[in-house]
Amino acid sequence: MSLVTDKLTTKSLIETGELYSEMTEINRSLINISNFDFFYGEKQALFDVNMDIKEREVTAFIGPSGCGKSTLLRCINRMNDLIDVARIGSGKITVNGVDIYDDRVDTIELRKRVGMVFQKSNPFPKSIYENVVYGLRIQGISRKSKLDESVERCLKGAALWEEVKDRLDTSGLSLSGGQQQRLCIARALAVEPDILLMDEPCSALDPVATAKVEELIHTLKDRYTIVIVTHNMQQAARVSEKTAFFYLGKLIEMNATDQIFMSPEKEQTEAYISGRFG
Amino acid sequence: MNEVDPDNRYDLNSSRKSFLGITWEQALKGLFGGNALVSIVVLGLITLFLFKEGVGFFGQYRESLSLHRQSGLEYVELIREELDSFSALEKYLNSIRSMQSEQLTAEGMEFKEIKATLREDEEFFYDFEDLGYPLREYVLDSNEVAIAARDRYEEMLNLRVHRSNLIEIGKTQEAEALVINDVDLEQLFELLKSKETDFIEINRKFRQSIPNIIEQAPLYENTELAAKMSRFRELSAMFLEELPGYEASLLSWDRKKPIGIGESFTAFVFGNKWVTNSSIQDWYGIAPLFLGSLLISLIAMIIAIPLGVGAAIYVNQVATPIEQTIIKPYIEFISAIPSVVIGFFGIAVFGTLVREVSGWEALSWISFFPMSERLTGFTAGGLLALMAIPTIFTLAEDALNNVPLSYKEASMAMGSTRLQTIIRIIVPTALSGIISAVLLGFGRVIGETMVVLLCAGNRIEIPRFSEGLGVVFEPVHTMTGIIAQELGEVVNGSIHYRALFVVGLTLFVISLLINYMAQKIVIKFQISRG
Amino acid sequence: MVTKEMETLSPEALSLFGKPTKAKLIERVVFWGFRVGTYFVLACAASIFIDIFYKGGKTVFQSEYPFINVEFLTGSPQTLHVFEHDGASYELSDSDFRVFKEEAGVSIVSDTYAYSGGGIWPCIVGTVLLVVGSMAIALTLGILSAIFLSEYSKPGKVLNAVRLSILNLAGVPSIVFGIFGMGMFVLAFGWNVSLIAGWFTLAFMVLPIVISASEESMRAIPQGLRDASLALGASKWTAIRTNVLPYAMPGILTSSIIGVARVAGETAPIMFTAAYALRDQLPWQGLEHWYDFFFQGVMALPYHIYVVSAKIPQNEYTSRMQYGTAFVFLFIVAGITLISILLRIRMRKKYRW
Repeated sequence: MSLVTDKLTTKSLIETGELYSEMTEINRSLINISNFDFFYGEKQALFDVNMDIKEREVTAFIGPSGCGKSTLLRCINRMNDLIDVARIGSGKITVNGVDIYDDRVDTIELRKRVGMVFQKSNPFPKSIYENVVYGLRIQGISRKSKLDESVERCLKGAALWEEVKDRLDTSGLSLSGGQQQRLCIARALAVEPDILLMDEPCSALDPVATAKVEELIHTLKDRYTIVIVTHNMQQAARVSEKTAFFYLGKLIEMNATDQIFMSPEKEQTEAYISGRFG
Repeated sequence: MNEVDPDNRYDLNSSRKSFLGITWEQALKGLFGGNALVSIVVLGLITLFLFKEGVGFFGQYRESLSLHRQSGLEYVELIREELDSFSALEKYLNSIRSMQSEQLTAEGMEFKEIKATLREDEEFFYDFEDLGYPLREYVLDSNEVAIAARDRYEEMLNLRVHRSNLIEIGKTQEAEALVINDVDLEQLFELLKSKETDFIEINRKFRQSIPNIIEQAPLYENTELAAKMSRFRELSAMFLEELPGYEASLLSWDRKKPIGIGESFTAFVFGNKWVTNSSIQDWYGIAPLFLGSLLISLIAMIIAIPLGVGAAIYVNQVATPIEQTIIKPYIEFISAIPSVVIGFFGIAVFGTLVREVSGWEALSWISFFPMSERLTGFTAGGLLALMAIPTIFTLAEDALNNVPLSYKEASMAMGSTRLQTIIRIIVPTALSGIISAVLLGFGRVIGETMVVLLCAGNRIEIPRFSEGLGVVFEPVHTMTGIIAQELGEVVNGSIHYRALFVVGLTLFVISLLINYMAQKIVIKFQISRG
Repeated sequence: MVTKEMETLSPEALSLFGKPTKAKLIERVVFWGFRVGTYFVLACAASIFIDIFYKGGKTVFQSEYPFINVEFLTGSPQTLHVFEHDGASYELSDSDFRVFKEEAGVSIVSDTYAYSGGGIWPCIVGTVLLVVGSMAIALTLGILSAIFLSEYSKPGKVLNAVRLSILNLAGVPSIVFGIFGMGMFVLAFGWNVSLIAGWFTLAFMVLPIVISASEESMRAIPQGLRDASLALGASKWTAIRTNVLPYAMPGILTSSIIGVARVAGETAPIMFTAAYALRDQLPWQGLEHWYDFFFQGVMALPYHIYVVSAKIPQNEYTSRMQYGTAFVFLFIVAGITLISILLRIRMRKKYRW
């Protein structure tokens, strides 16, 4: 599925988007979150969040633990549906103009377009090959040539191909931590999503593996819209175009990454970035 | 004990009191250790005791089988086989008669008329029956001789034991007064053997007269009857062809051939008869009981596996939180229903219900319905399934619960349906746990006593698997059932008592194997959750 | 289905609304299958409960004061006499029948039904005695052994082997313990069919369960608690007493209640070791010596159910007795189990490591 900008998208282009866009190309807004409240049981986890996420940009969510950044991320592909007590208060999230909490939205279709990579690498206890083609198999694709082609493409896309091409039959669990995480990314790519959500993808990795994943994110952003939650501010600075800072369930500030790190508007942001809390 | 110097905070000598050089700590440790030792010894003792009581069986059974051979009872049995075949022929012939009478009744004939019609070819039937008399007499006579020989021999053995007991307690006079007649089994057997010519003569007569008589067989117009009659002719011809075989087996039979321990073992393991308190010979073959247990367990498992595992998947993956909090304890609660209550329910309600359902018009197309028995393998199996479900459910649900949430999340995040996630990720990951749950459920079922004792119908016979699915609705007996039924009546140390111990030992070994396998599977296939 | 709002969206965006696919249909069908299967199991079990509580309730309760059938709960099993006298029909237990006959002063011909009159008091007493005695033995041996295995023994191959064999023994069929008890206690020790033979048989049957469950709940306690206590200068036993046992207690308690339910519910082990089909006297009556108490057989509820449902001819009068006994028995066992389940649910919430 390609994301060729057609005439409909120009309509939904938000003028201000250009202001802090580093890219020369004008990107449209792909994900729009407005007045979003979210609860775990009685506890409110997100307060009135508003943001636009642009197509083919890397957006980083930063903030101290428990500030709601992962929660928001999981709202974007409705993974929070799996938690019984989770519910939305008010507001909405639209992807490509569609309110994803609309009753008619099919979470399965949604998740095919909005892929996710988790904090802890979680390959299935299957072979590397089967891990990658899992998403295709559940869509009923079983032609060997198609699967082979997809495995190579996705593993290459995840910069893992050279390392594993000779042992595709070994268990995904036999890989090192960084490789496992890239395998998970390859697995997510196989479904051909438009958006990749990454929930602290490097938090369990060593610096070398982290560098590889970051490198991968750089190459991926040409084709995918990426939202990454990270604890590591350097990482956010390195990989993202936009950065959103969360604190206690509120979106404090969102701006171009340079701006956030150089001259944050809000005091809390500055305090966090300069390491005074968090 | 040292005086503690309050000023010296670094006196590191123990200040604890000791008694006879043993501190309180050590005493406690000893107490716990002693208890552990007792428990382990006792549990080990159970194994040993079962072996000790059971192993003697094979020697005793060997003696019993030897006596069976030496007294000539085995020889008589060979002849009896011929008689059994002949009786089967007679039975078949009678079935033709009853079929004819049924047909006539259906045609609306009066009882008297039927009788008259049947009388027309009465002679043929009587003649055929008469043919069997000499053989029957011969078998009865031989049997009597053989049994008498065996009984006298056993009496002699008993008296010998009695005498040595008397001598042991010092009553020598009484011991000497005992008259013990030596019994020579060989001599007695010669009596039997000398009559073998009679048997050959009987067979010769068969060969001569059966064809003659069959020629007088009535010719029926009815095609069904005619078909049966021609089948009867074939069967009789087959019988005649078998006759030399019986004679040959008599000739090749060797009274002196010794019976080894191995033979008594195979006779137990593969023996298809379990007959006790018989006047002729007691047989202890575990096969019918083992197969009965197996059949019932299979029935139960076929019902319980889909329901138990399905319910586990449902509760763990599909059900709403409210359903979960109710269903889980409820199913655990089912396992608390005592087996005797379930068995009682089987007799009082379920057995009757099954038979009634089997009588429904809508089910009449099933060849083995309606069933004649109320208590069958199916009755017991169905109830046992209910007992196995909680075991399977609880353990399988645990296994499903142990599948890391991240697997589920990863799969769902790629847009798979919940069912796809369950089938492709969750169940395969939990498979080892589910298999061991099923195995433990099986173990529970095969070791269950009261339900099978009350509901299985208790017919000791190898289930007739040749009848296809109908075998499910036959009464069977089981290993657990036989112990419960017969243990109360046995004499301590007798061969029957020991046979039951061997059955218990078999159960013990089977259950250990199942448990062991279940644990191995869980450990071996445990996924690393790195 | 196409609304105004939707018309403004790209076809690509619209596809988010999904369409009914085969996979989704299959999912729905399969989930319904699971649901029906699960509720079928629940219904089957419910039918047993309802059948026994409904029919048994008729025996145990009555419509007039005192609403509970006192004779059934406090009397001994007797023969039931059914007869007509002076135009009225009577159903009387043997003892009442004798009194009635004497008062009437005439000989009355009655139909008699064995085991169908009187009550089940001796069975209740016997079951309680069996449970109390065997659990006392099993808990003492079991918990002390578990403390040793979990806290004092050295981990290694031997310990693993011991653990494995104990776990394996927990799955051995109860009839095997029955035949063992019969051979060992009743015959070899010469205790005959007696309370004490039943105690030991039942105790050994639950011993593996008690040991493995208690040990498991002790091992589940984080090593840190013991270390912290030892680091403060506590002796090993003090550490166990103050920092292991209190937290392991809920687990031990639950497992012992499960053990109680199992002991109370089993028939096979006591059939040959402790249970009498019929005994006139209660266990404390007619004892010559105090120790005779241990060497007497007793009646027990599960065995009584077996006897009245399999060993005597069936008719409407015996059926009342059967259902009544089953009611009382199920009530007791289910009650114990319910307590253990509720306890476990509460404990799970309370302690989480």
